[in-house]
Amino acid sequence: MPPVIELDDLRVRLGRREVLKGLSCRLGASGAGKAIGLLGPNGAGKSTLIQTLLGFHKPSGGGARVLGFDCRTQPREVKARIGYMPENETLIANVTAVSFLRLMGELSGLPGEAALEKAHETLFHVGLGEARYRTLGTYSLGMKQMAKLAQAIIHGPDLVILDEPTNGLDPAARRRMLTLIREMKQDHGMNVVLCSHLLRDVEETCDEAVILKDGQIVHHADLEAERRSNRRFVELEVAGDDAALAPALQESGVESVREGEGRWRMVLPPGVEIGTLWQIVARLDLRVHKLTHRRDTLEEIFMKAVGHLPAGGPAPDQPEEVAADGRL
Amino acid sequence: MAVYKRGYQRYQGELTGRWTRFLALPRFVWPRLIEQRLILIVLIVSLFWPLACVAFIYVANHSELWSGLDNDFAQFLQIDGRFFRYFMDTQAVMAVILAALAGPGLIAPDLANNGLPLYFSRPLSRLDYVLARMFTLVAMLALVTLLPALLLFAMQGGLAGFDWLWKNLRLPVGVLAGFAMHILLVSMVALACSAWVKWRTIAGALVVGFFFILAGASELLNNVLDVTWGVLFNPARALYTVWSAMLGVEAGEGPGAWACGAALLVMAALVALVLEKKLRPVEVVS
Repeated sequence: MPPVIELDDLRVRLGRREVLKGLSCRLGASGAGKAIGLLGPNGAGKSTLIQTLLGFHKPSGGGARVLGFDCRTQPREVKARIGYMPENETLIANVTAVSFLRLMGELSGLPGEAALEKAHETLFHVGLGEARYRTLGTYSLGMKQMAKLAQAIIHGPDLVILDEPTNGLDPAARRRMLTLIREMKQDHGMNVVLCSHLLRDVEETCDEAVILKDGQIVHHADLEAERRSNRRFVELEVAGDDAALAPALQESGVESVREGEGRWRMVLPPGVEIGTLWQIVARLDLRVHKLTHRRDTLEEIFMKAVGHLPAGGPAPDQPEEVAADGRL
Repeated sequence: MAVYKRGYQRYQGELTGRWTRFLALPRFVWPRLIEQRLILIVLIVSLFWPLACVAFIYVANHSELWSGLDNDFAQFLQIDGRFFRYFMDTQAVMAVILAALAGPGLIAPDLANNGLPLYFSRPLSRLDYVLARMFTLVAMLALVTLLPALLLFAMQGGLAGFDWLWKNLRLPVGVLAGFAMHILLVSMVALACSAWVKWRTIAGALVVGFFFILAGASELLNNVLDVTWGVLFNPARALYTVWSAMLGVEAGEGPGAWACGAALLVMAALVALVLEKKLRPVEVVS
């Protein structure tokens, strides 16, 4: 199975500026229904990367393959398998949603009748069934986002590229959009590339995340593995003789490190609950001054990757024990 | 099962042919163009002159209707290259007006709505897009130019007989090629104006302006410099010269048909360059 996206020292130059500076990675596996998050601060090159995959920019060096097809030499094959939801408002205002979707379907290769049927079907799917005969110009921002999503999936593509899909959505609409994205990969086997500034959206929907900074990949996180590991990071402060704590924790399978007088940091493996810690501490007759526990968040990974948090040292208001790969 | 009950399923059926897919765009646009009252009126008015020509051909082929009249009138009623050039001159003007009304609505809304990424993210190249938009205009303009011209020729051939048909075989070729050149140039100019200016009214004015302003400028050039090659900058006049050569009719003073043809090619190339520059899925600011 070819990877969804394969970048091989991809370089893109726009004017005199090199925007993508030698990106190399393999993301997802086609047909597996995987979602890939594309993250990065403004100007990192996310949109340029998407546009290059769509054939809007020619690489100045290296190459990119989508679902096994070369973006430079096989743009038609690539585009035939992609559905693209752009970030900006791109809908033709004075056309009804059904007509617009039918046109988009036909341009993607659907016969006229099938395109019309799919237009209705897709509009119902994204929740615009009742408004499908209204002109797109009369739609609210949230409805327009849904219409853009509908045009991206009307032809049932193998890969859907979503550029900031939750922009301008209220909480309910955002939840609906994220549910639709999850359904696309889980129920329909589509691969999704989600470009978003909202890390929570990526965290909730994606299996992998790539973080770009200054046109380079600074981190590639396997979010699915992170979730699977289900590790929790615990910060513990105790009073009393804690010499026996380390072996007791080790016995329970807890990785730990003593950081100072009564201060401990540890990683709980799956199956070990906070209650186990309380039991150990009680058995050793220690008094607990502080116990905090949480999972490593994508936000921390992101902040470290783009250099807003030091990778090794402590950060203000953040526990220092969590490295990008989740190890102590 | 009703669509709303069935739920979304990925399309798994047959796809349409790669080379016919772009025809979805003209199919989508034509009904919307015809819905515009002004375009419909101009389309109807454009058929008045062909109808008058039908009457003329009928009269010309029924000598009993004008047998008592003098020789000059009989000369006037000749159906030859000159007749078809007059026909082409008039219909060409109507075609320009029609293109000025219909053309700006083809690309400008896509640019104004940032719609190009939606088209170009599908298996549709920029060339496909331009061809699709051009096909929309070409088919509409052919309705008022090529089609009536060929029908007139067929009618005259039917009424005048095989001898006339045999002697004037160059006429349908000239009309076909001449109008094809005109339609292509006008369509390209209309699309380029539509791509250049996002406001439809101004783009329409530009289309008409392209022909009238260049005509005025070329006349000015001829008069000020006391030359005749100024007509090379006048697309209407250049087309007139080329048509005349194709129909075997005297064109008057000025550069020949080959020079005019070359000038038209240069104009078409410049217009194509504008389209190439303006029709990009994303604007790159370097």
